[in-house]
Amino acid sequence: MNFKISKIILYLLLFFLLVPLFVLVIWSFSNSWPWPNMLPKDLGIRAYKHIFSFRTGTLGVLIYSIILSATVTLITIIISIPASKALGVYDFPLKKLFKILVLAPIIVPPVAVAMGIHVSFIKMGLANTFLGVVLVHLIPCIPYGVRIITSVFEGIGEKMEIQAKVLGASSLQTFFHITLPMITPGVISAASMVFIVSFSQYFLTFLIGGGKVKTLSLVMFPYIQSGDRMMASAYSIVFSLTTLMILLIMEKSIKKKYKRETDLFV
Amino acid sequence: MRKVLSILIILTLAISLVACGGNGETNEEGNVLDKDWKEIVKEAKGTEVSFYGWGGSQQTNEWIDGFLADTMKEKYDIKVNRVPMNIEDILNKMLSEKQLDSEGSIDVVWINGENFSTAKKSDLLMGTFTDVLPNFEKNLDVDSEEVKKDFGHEVDGMEAPFGKAQFVMIYDEARVDKYPVNHKELMEFAKSNKGKFTYPAPPDFTGSAFVRNIIYDIVGYENVKDLEPNKEQVKEKIMPAIGYLQELKPYLWREGKTYPATIAQLDNMYADGEVVMDMTYNPNSAEAKVRTGEFPESTRTFLFENGTIGNTHFLSIPFNSPNNPGALVLINEILSIEAQASKYDPKNWGDLPVIDNSKLSEEEKALFEEIDLGEATLPQEELLTNRIPELPADLVPIIEEIWLENIPTEGE
Repeated sequence: MNFKISKIILYLLLFFLLVPLFVLVIWSFSNSWPWPNMLPKDLGIRAYKHIFSFRTGTLGVLIYSIILSATVTLITIIISIPASKALGVYDFPLKKLFKILVLAPIIVPPVAVAMGIHVSFIKMGLANTFLGVVLVHLIPCIPYGVRIITSVFEGIGEKMEIQAKVLGASSLQTFFHITLPMITPGVISAASMVFIVSFSQYFLTFLIGGGKVKTLSLVMFPYIQSGDRMMASAYSIVFSLTTLMILLIMEKSIKKKYKRETDLFV
Repeated sequence: MRKVLSILIILTLAISLVACGGNGETNEEGNVLDKDWKEIVKEAKGTEVSFYGWGGSQQTNEWIDGFLADTMKEKYDIKVNRVPMNIEDILNKMLSEKQLDSEGSIDVVWINGENFSTAKKSDLLMGTFTDVLPNFEKNLDVDSEEVKKDFGHEVDGMEAPFGKAQFVMIYDEARVDKYPVNHKELMEFAKSNKGKFTYPAPPDFTGSAFVRNIIYDIVGYENVKDLEPNKEQVKEKIMPAIGYLQELKPYLWREGKTYPATIAQLDNMYADGEVVMDMTYNPNSAEAKVRTGEFPESTRTFLFENGTIGNTHFLSIPFNSPNNPGALVLINEILSIEAQASKYDPKNWGDLPVIDNSKLSEEEKALFEEIDLGEATLPQEELLTNRIPELPADLVPIIEEIWLENIPTEGE
């Protein structure tokens, strides 16, 4: 009985998640789809022709966005792991406050802060550069990284690491052979989340990148705004498929690397 | 383990190198405008020009990425980098850069109207440059109002015409028997086709132009063009038109309780057959949308008998453009006969040319006449003879405010 209900819920969820995506796919091929037709009146590939023609350079933009978001993800994870360990394992005064403060970048609207950051970045010569955009993406990304990995550390505690140290492992050995394999599942979900957050940044990229750093969201947004539904849908499809593919690749490759070790503990 | 560490270090170094590269560029300026044209072309060779402007139209984007980029590459070895960005955002960016007097990234900006006057007032533009461009004198009527004025503001050579736009109404021939050519007929039309007509709520650009067109039709352009930007006076003058719009309201889509917020929404409503009329500030866009299949084949355009509003859109160069010579060469190329003709073709974009027809040779005229405008587009002569200039830019927001105060909508 219970089993059945949970299955129904699962399918309902899938249905509600997938149907809008499906509509998006249809729209990306529809020249016109007037009411009351159930199906589009006229199909075409205008949008994909535009996206995949070399002239418009969308493919280059796509690859550039992936590199940018991958860099952001890597840096975020590197920063998040030690921070999360501190928040998840150690006890120190005002720990609760720090935990909440980590979320501050998501709570405070980015627009309020970004203008000031832009001015400082211009002064430092970071505006309109790749590095500048990477740095500013870290702001909305780190909270996700830290929160997700913190809960993993809260779960596994410090015992395994202490055990390794007792047996004579150095700190680095402990980290790479004990800690990292254990937190890998958490790191994967954090990295996925961070990648998506970075990949879909529009406002920050556009303000700090000033058009010199051209990402997919930047190219996609004008079409959504101008109401070209076919174009907007096609870009969204390319956008979603790219993220999906990156996430799959990331999960597969990381899992493979740590497979043997994780099996020991999980 | 070492490997991971060293990869990390390399990455960090690589990233910081990228950043340094960004800082190290210096901008050798001289005074470009004093130089000989040949020298400017030579300096521009092999450089990259960043073109910033609205990027919401596939055709416009493809014209810039295609025809323009190819021509620039072949003729001058210049790479064109198009950056889609709304003009308000471009202005904000330039304002912050002005404050800190830093180097910019924009070489050419697509601009007009109020935004131009803001940019000019805040010293965001390079200066008077049009007299340097050979094609400016050669192909344009440099003394015409459309070249010298932009929404009533003196251009002073700080921007060069790019193309012309004109307000036209769109209708579906299959669903409309007789299109209305003035405000009275429009009222009749709305009454007999309840809920089948509406217009985007100002301050949407096109909706606001529709309201101005109604004002022209009822009050007359002559009577409003010299008004001071004083709300009370403007309101008094345009009240008949506002009264008309109030009367029109109950016959509109959803009884006028709400209006489409943007022209994009109205375009989509027309494409979906929810309304039978649409409007646009680009006289070729209806044809373009018929060709992409978004609009029905039976789409046509028309003008009001007393004419419709037209304006010119321009190109300018920001004060901190990193590549002045490149920007000048690009703008000059856009003013060439070939570029203007290619841009006019609805197949490519369909933007009205800024060329002075009397300066064209027979062959050049043929270039324009050969273009197949399609059924939905009105011929250029008809548009140009029924063209009324825009109001001064500072009156526009006042009219929008008066509309918002007097035409109540629900849910706001």
